[in-house]
Amino acid sequence: MTILLQTQELTKKYGDFTALNAVSLTLNQGDIYGLVGRNGAGKTTFFKCVMGLAKPTGGKIKISASRKVTDVAMRGKNAEATLNAAGAEATLNAAGATSHAKREQAATSRAKGEQTSPHALSVARRQIGFMISPAFFSYLNPKQNLEYLRTIKGIHDKGEVKRLLKLVGLEDVKKPFKAFSLGMKQRLGIAAAMLGNPPIVVLDEPINGLDPQGIADIRAVIQRENAERGTTFIISSHILSELDLVATRFGFIEQGNLVQEITHTKLHEHTKKSLIVDVNDGQKALVALKSRFAEMLVATEAVAAGSRLIIESHLDQPEVIAKTLIDDGVELYRLSPQETTLEEYFMRLIGGKQDV
Amino acid sequence: MFNYLLGEAYRVLRKKSMYIYFGSFALLYLLLVFIRSGMGNEATQIKQDAETLAAFFPAVVGGYLFAAFYTDDLNAKNLTTLIGFGLGKTKIIIAKLIMVIIFGVLIFALIPVFMWAAFSVFNGAVPLEAFSTLYAWALKALLEAIAFSAVSAIIVYGLQRATFGMVTYLLLSLGVIGQLLAALFSWDLINSIAPNLSEHLMSGITIRIILGMLVGEPLILPIVEYLIYVAIAVALSVLAFKKKELEF
Repeated sequence: MTILLQTQELTKKYGDFTALNAVSLTLNQGDIYGLVGRNGAGKTTFFKCVMGLAKPTGGKIKISASRKVTDVAMRGKNAEATLNAAGAEATLNAAGATSHAKREQAATSRAKGEQTSPHALSVARRQIGFMISPAFFSYLNPKQNLEYLRTIKGIHDKGEVKRLLKLVGLEDVKKPFKAFSLGMKQRLGIAAAMLGNPPIVVLDEPINGLDPQGIADIRAVIQRENAERGTTFIISSHILSELDLVATRFGFIEQGNLVQEITHTKLHEHTKKSLIVDVNDGQKALVALKSRFAEMLVATEAVAAGSRLIIESHLDQPEVIAKTLIDDGVELYRLSPQETTLEEYFMRLIGGKQDV
Repeated sequence: MFNYLLGEAYRVLRKKSMYIYFGSFALLYLLLVFIRSGMGNEATQIKQDAETLAAFFPAVVGGYLFAAFYTDDLNAKNLTTLIGFGLGKTKIIIAKLIMVIIFGVLIFALIPVFMWAAFSVFNGAVPLEAFSTLYAWALKALLEAIAFSAVSAIIVYGLQRATFGMVTYLLLSLGVIGQLLAALFSWDLINSIAPNLSEHLMSGITIRIILGMLVGEPLILPIVEYLIYVAIAVALSVLAFKKKELEF
């Protein structure tokens, strides 16, 4: 699996306050990575450090993205970045090492084919499109704002702006940015982040302020770009249920610490719905249920007062299940639904604090 | 950086308020010339106009350019986009100054032509020699606009507050800070240690450049002073920007 972006022990302090504490995060090619955390958990600070908008106090950032889709002609430094990124990685050591240590590290990195200068990292950053609080020139309309960015980024393909405006549903909007609703601003921000088809797109709270239709539209855009163009996304949100619909991997961040990285599948293994059935005889109950529901997903485990059955199918038929067991002479002590929501899982992970 | 310059030109040329702003001033001036038409002594009048207006041009023309190129970036949080894209802070600062110079040269080159044409339309032909005076004053205003932009950029990048940057520019271009410094330099104590310091303020430097061009006084020294002035301002801007994290 190709790693496009990696941070190692990334730390950011503002005076005595630690905004990021040794965050080691890995973004693989093709991921839609959901960075989940409460307000003020460190999500935006993480992005700021990755994008060079804030100087890390310690740690490493490694960007090794290479352009897969080349339908957008690039020139000048952009082309250089593409070539660099294809054959080498750009690494910034911000650990505050001594000059000697820095030189040694640089030599080691060179031996590995990495480029260690901040300039190399700046060039590599051109492989990343990002949206951190969408802000544009208030007097320009969406097309003009994107044309401005297209010119700066040296993207030759003039159709790119039209494509992206259509993608986010702003192709017919002529009014200036200052007259935009919050949702329209978010859409334009997302279009700007995807301008030039960068291999990595960073979106900080992209669904903030969007109505349900807008959220669904943005979700569809992300999934389409990921599937059709192979774009890798890292998206932050404090709305876990929304990220759950789009992300393939998650990172949970709390008070500057990356508490856990987990795949979508693994996460859902922790958050399945089930029916908990406590009985006197687990084996007898299992036979009774299987004879009634051949395809039932059920597991048994021993508990103090007999056995526990964990049923993961037929969740809408608890009364039928109860009747089956009683009719077959099984003593039923408890039958109750159990569900750990994503929010509950996250709460448990961060120690039960609210606000996600 | 070339792409960035192109992008900035694209953006500012689509700023409708620029055309309204300069168009309004042009109309006002036409009206003024029309009202005074037929009063005679056009050659002297146009020179006086140039002198009077030149005192305000760094603020009126340069102020707009400063806002368009520097403070618009802060209001639109565009610096995060530029830095995030990998554009160096030094490049951004130099590119901004280049844009002020390019647009300043274009506008200040047109102003004398416009003034001369306006006078000619309402008063008949005005002697071509008036041009040299007009261009001398326009050049003075241009040089001041560039220098004050460079100095105010220190505030823009150091504090990243559009209002502070604009106020600094206006205080400089309207001569408020210059007059305060001139008053300070006239104190006996300072004057005895470093006499004639006022001549080395921006207004003094540009006057010496103009006199050098018009009456052949030494030009090299004021030009070198001017360039040092701008270079130090750019260096301080770079330092201030590199020390300051982007706020958004």
